Amino acid sequence: MKSVSKKMKKALIIGIDGVPYSLLNAYIKKDVMPNLKKILSQGFRLHQMNASIPDISSVSWTSFNTGVNPGEHGIYGFTDLKPDSYSLCFPNLGDVKAPPFWDILGKKNPKTSTLSHTYHPRITHPHRSIIFNVPHTYPASPMNGILISGFVAIDLKKAIFPESVYPYLRSINYLIDVEAEKAKEDKGTFMQSLFECFDIRKKAISHFFADESWDLIFACITESDRLHHFFFDASVDEENPYYESFLRFYVELDKFVKDLYDQFIQRCAGKGFFMVLSDHGFAPVKKEVYLNRFLEEKGFLVLKKDGNFYERIEEGTKAFDMDPGRIYLHDRDRYPRGAVRKEERLNLLKEIKEALTSLKGEDGKKIIERIYEKEEIYHGPYSGVAPDLVCLPNDGYDLKGSLEKREIFGQNVFTGMHTWYDAFCLLPEEITFSNKPSIQNLTEFILQYYSE
Amino acid sequence: MDHLTRLENKSIYIIREAYYQFKDIAMLWSVGKDSTTLLWLCRKAFFGHIPFPIIHIDTSYKFPEMYRFRDERAKEWNLHLLIGRNEEKLLGGMGPDQGSKLDCCNELKTNALKMVIKKYNLKAILLGIRRDEHGIRAKERYFSPRDSQFKWDYENQPAELWDQYQSMVEEEEHFRIHPILHFTELDVWSYVKREGLPIVPLYFSKEGKRFRSIGCVPCCSPIDSNAQTIDEIVEEIRTSKTSERAGRAQDKENIYTMQKLRALGYM
Repeated sequence: MKSVSKKMKKALIIGIDGVPYSLLNAYIKKDVMPNLKKILSQGFRLHQMNASIPDISSVSWTSFNTGVNPGEHGIYGFTDLKPDSYSLCFPNLGDVKAPPFWDILGKKNPKTSTLSHTYHPRITHPHRSIIFNVPHTYPASPMNGILISGFVAIDLKKAIFPESVYPYLRSINYLIDVEAEKAKEDKGTFMQSLFECFDIRKKAISHFFADESWDLIFACITESDRLHHFFFDASVDEENPYYESFLRFYVELDKFVKDLYDQFIQRCAGKGFFMVLSDHGFAPVKKEVYLNRFLEEKGFLVLKKDGNFYERIEEGTKAFDMDPGRIYLHDRDRYPRGAVRKEERLNLLKEIKEALTSLKGEDGKKIIERIYEKEEIYHGPYSGVAPDLVCLPNDGYDLKGSLEKREIFGQNVFTGMHTWYDAFCLLPEEITFSNKPSIQNLTEFILQYYSE
Repeated sequence: MDHLTRLENKSIYIIREAYYQFKDIAMLWSVGKDSTTLLWLCRKAFFGHIPFPIIHIDTSYKFPEMYRFRDERAKEWNLHLLIGRNEEKLLGGMGPDQGSKLDCCNELKTNALKMVIKKYNLKAILLGIRRDEHGIRAKERYFSPRDSQFKWDYENQPAELWDQYQSMVEEEEHFRIHPILHFTELDVWSYVKREGLPIVPLYFSKEGKRFRSIGCVPCCSPIDSNAQTIDEIVEEIRTSKTSERAGRAQDKENIYTMQKLRALGYM
């Protein structure tokens, strides 16, 4: 056992997937979350925060984990196409090009980034972390501490490091994720399983918190995101049959954060670093918007009848979309049937942007709020593979990359959609921002704490 | 009692108990080593004559060796074999290249099995899955077929969700029973050897390759191996560090990842 030195630093980071700043704020004001309110009165501040672009968990959490831009960490979505092909692939932890903060602290990962260059020399000794259920950390790779991967982890044995945590997880019937497939069939049962899963998650976090040694613990709750996808309509509507359950989730969340916080304060004698954050917000869905169908109708996309997903892309295709609003030009030098020549790119981008901007909903309002060109938002050695355009929608219009739709607009079982602008973070009040923070800005505060 | 006999006894107990409880029961036989082991245990449980049907879900994409093996055993062991095929989709040309592999599995396996269950009004299915086999099978719930007194509390048994068959559990309301859940891959091979069980020849090495896990031709790849006998396979598994389904794992993982993402509205 290490002797307890004065320099022993402890950090507790709680990630709550998909919790919107505005809802959290409302619930704090309405006293649904009295404990969080109390914590806020003890030297913390709640901020609204921007997620990554696009605002989906794999990209946003990776941006937080690495503290760098997607152009540097290389993750742009849950799906990508394999180089020089139309085959779908699913980027995972192995594809992240920059080291996560726990590897900078643990002095383990040979990968480097702008952040690791700065902080590697300042971190004087290796710190042990427990990283629990953080999305896009699968398959678990060796690190200094314990890693239990979150979404999309498939095989529990590959989702853990070291192997020795397996018997414990097995003993509590650990669940990697709630079975979202069930929601379609029976929302009531699904709600129940959400709470069961949340319980198991809390149990496991409390176990690792109490029974393991660590310098930093970063644990994510992902049930919140699932709750919002399927029940966001219940968040404010008292008539909704799931209103009570929705609220109960937040009440339990509030209590859980408090319990962990209290234990943490005790453990670090009030001197630790505490942070809570989400990776994106949520808003109610009005319509799903199938951008590939739109591109097809506008003549930018030509699809064959059969084939697997993007393998259906025909030669005449100028552009296609991948979830959620990532538009890729079908470049000649990048895709086997690529049609876009370099000299065409600028005009084509303009044309597509104009077309997308003209897309209106039934109420006549613009669907797409902003379209970014990759150079505007991505910086770093891996920005070359970034989408050429990324669309951010107005609330209510959930952009989708499905290739199977015959209409531009549709509806699904989901009642909530991700938002970019409405993630939150709860930070020590000494931390202030002159501009609205983005999720990747937070990482540095953790590293700063350990290098002081 | 030696290890294998103990495993065998547990399995036979579960099989008999399941039949006693449900009657309208069938066993799912993929023709692979695990479900063939289960089949063998079912024969033992009922002294050579299995009193319920054996279902084989035929995607039409299985290896020829598997069809041959299936038909030979069915005849030799006098099995009441039910073949489940999603004829409509097969006529429509469903395959791993039409639509996605996920769709292919869904239609030709899941839905084909659903049809059989519905047609014969089955209340429970015996499956040859093992606890150590595949992480996906560890993903949801660990099935606990009995309590410490070895009493099988089947009413409290959580439904075991088996990769692409999972959605059916609630819809169809049948029980899934896993009599060889406690076998490991090594146990299965040791048992196959002890019992002199016939096994599809694809498991044995040919030109430096063998299948460690078998299914549909387009979705299985062999591993490098020189194991030509069961003893050599046992030795290989004992020393191997790679996962049993390595030849299938990526594909399966991708299918499962896709399924997870789709459930949340992606793709």
